[in-house]
Amino acid sequence: MAFTILDGDTFTSTGAGVKIPLPSSADYFHTWNITQMPLAPATAVVIEGEWFGPKFGAGASAANDGLRLKKSNSTNVLVKDTFATATASNGFTYVTTSPVVEAQAPNAITGITAANPAVVTQTNTYSDGDLVRIYNTTGDLTIGGMVFQISSSSSSGYTLLGLANIAGNGLDAATAGFTRRVSKFAAVEPEFMYITNISKANQAVVSTSVDPSFYYAVGMKIHFSVPKSFGMSEISQMTGTILAINAVGASGNIGAYNVTVDINSTAFTAFAFPVTDLSPSAQLFATFSSQGAQTSFNPVTLVQTGYDFTKQPFRTGQFTPYMFLAGGAQSPAGASGDIINWISYKLER
Amino acid sequence: MLGITNIQNMAPELPLQFSEDLLSTPQFNLIHSFGCDLHFADAYIGKTTRMSRYERLSTEGGQLDGSGVDPAPEVVVRTDVDATTEIFAKTVVINEQVTLFENDKVLTKFTALLGQWLREKEDLLMRDLYASSVSYINAVGGGGGDQPSLIGAGDVNNIERILLGNDARTMLATNEAADLFGTAPTRDAFIALCSTDLAADLQAVNGVVLKNIYPHQEGLRPEEYCSISRFRFFVSSKANKIPGASLLGNTIYTIPMYGLEAAAKIEQNGYTSILGYRPPYVVSSVGQNSQLYAKFALARAITNQNWLSGLNVTAST
Repeated sequence: MAFTILDGDTFTSTGAGVKIPLPSSADYFHTWNITQMPLAPATAVVIEGEWFGPKFGAGASAANDGLRLKKSNSTNVLVKDTFATATASNGFTYVTTSPVVEAQAPNAITGITAANPAVVTQTNTYSDGDLVRIYNTTGDLTIGGMVFQISSSSSSGYTLLGLANIAGNGLDAATAGFTRRVSKFAAVEPEFMYITNISKANQAVVSTSVDPSFYYAVGMKIHFSVPKSFGMSEISQMTGTILAINAVGASGNIGAYNVTVDINSTAFTAFAFPVTDLSPSAQLFATFSSQGAQTSFNPVTLVQTGYDFTKQPFRTGQFTPYMFLAGGAQSPAGASGDIINWISYKLER
Repeated sequence: MLGITNIQNMAPELPLQFSEDLLSTPQFNLIHSFGCDLHFADAYIGKTTRMSRYERLSTEGGQLDGSGVDPAPEVVVRTDVDATTEIFAKTVVINEQVTLFENDKVLTKFTALLGQWLREKEDLLMRDLYASSVSYINAVGGGGGDQPSLIGAGDVNNIERILLGNDARTMLATNEAADLFGTAPTRDAFIALCSTDLAADLQAVNGVVLKNIYPHQEGLRPEEYCSISRFRFFVSSKANKIPGASLLGNTIYTIPMYGLEAAAKIEQNGYTSILGYRPPYVVSSVGQNSQLYAKFALARAITNQNWLSGLNVTAST
């Protein structure tokens, strides 16, 4: 048998793009727009799409491309061409690695400003949401080795929403350093997270260097590891339950990425990074990691917490290949309300 | 003497002979399941295994003052640790011409390879659990000028302090002193797992007791390297390391250090190691290819972060 059908299904389009996980990969992918198939639509609506994988060599489909079968100019005349053909429309994109997985060469930064939040100056090709490990910093040595999520990225720099108020958190601005882009997901999730601040409050607000909402959910328990060099060592080895995620706006020393926990930290020593002069003798880093979950049910609000099975269980965090179907009437994922059938195939050679 | 046909004028029909004794297939030390709890998941009830722990009750108060007022009841807290069972597989397809023309008994040999893959893959999956989901503290006491530093005795003692402070239990028994020159007893110990790249640095740690100095050698595993403070160190070439992650951009080695019930490995009943064979008439329409496969199901979880900590270190060489 030359081809094996791996998987297939149907969905109703919302007009937006659709990601279809393909854990066993695919060599050929086919879509049918069941809704538009019998109609004579007013525009060049795509009724079938085909994608060919790398095994087809020179005939393989490029990113955001593939073959489309469309109805032309409100007639039932069928035209077959590629999505890239004028008038071009978005097609298939087969994603085998996460956009942030690739291990990249070191990239020099020219500074991390003391703005709130911190701004990195660097010629780069990163995208919002990417995770970068900052190292070999000068000016501030105590963040060297930490991983941060970036936002407001441009070719000349980006913002670290997870690093608020450098001075207030005991840090210095950095004048140089390097970054590498790292995987967005660890080999096993939920992964440990770097802490950039802990507020003194009845319900402590814990700022993190990356967005915790990707990895943690309300109701999960977290276990703190905070060396004495960070001040608030009283919280070290304590376990707290997450009450809210990113619910507290960035303010003062608190970053935009944060979790609120049921630990009263008002009497604790203030949290602060060790001064850069103490590197490399100061113990690093302040982190927290998953300590299970505690189930609760509020009969008034009817809210159940601690049952988020997409984030709570320990599981493989490695990236799963997927096919991205662009949305829209002239793309494989169709317009809102369209019923789309899809089948993925594997070539047996 | 002329006229004799011998091996000097007649080449052998076969260009070489094959030794029946195969050379060893390299296998790295499988250390990452040491000391973890083994649980089993039953079939037909989902792929998530829940392990639960009742947290101890508060010891504050409790005295009856004679007023007749009952003490406030305490709500019991249960912590749930969930783990998702996942299936991993490897397959080898063999063309008939391999055995017809070139090799003998490859099914047996390749089956042994798949068996080795089963255990190696399982070991790496457990390694990844320790690498991803545990908080580590950078070593600072070993010198080297980087952040983290090389491993130092103070760093190891700090982890012991953390584990003891969290009421963690050791899992290896005391190696009692013996009346033998040059030997040193070891205390009951926690487990530490690290890379073979750290062998030289381990030897340099103040107070290290190398394995050969233990008073008794019976029952020691070949993967064990030394004892430092309350930890027995086991090494593997595949232990976790993070390239380019130190302050100076050097490789960081993570050393998970833990006591009893810190982590769990959950095996699916009836699916822990499946080896299979698909004959040529199934795999190939002309019966030329056969197939061997191995697969297993596994879930893993950190069951108590209080009893698990560890160090980030750099290496001297």
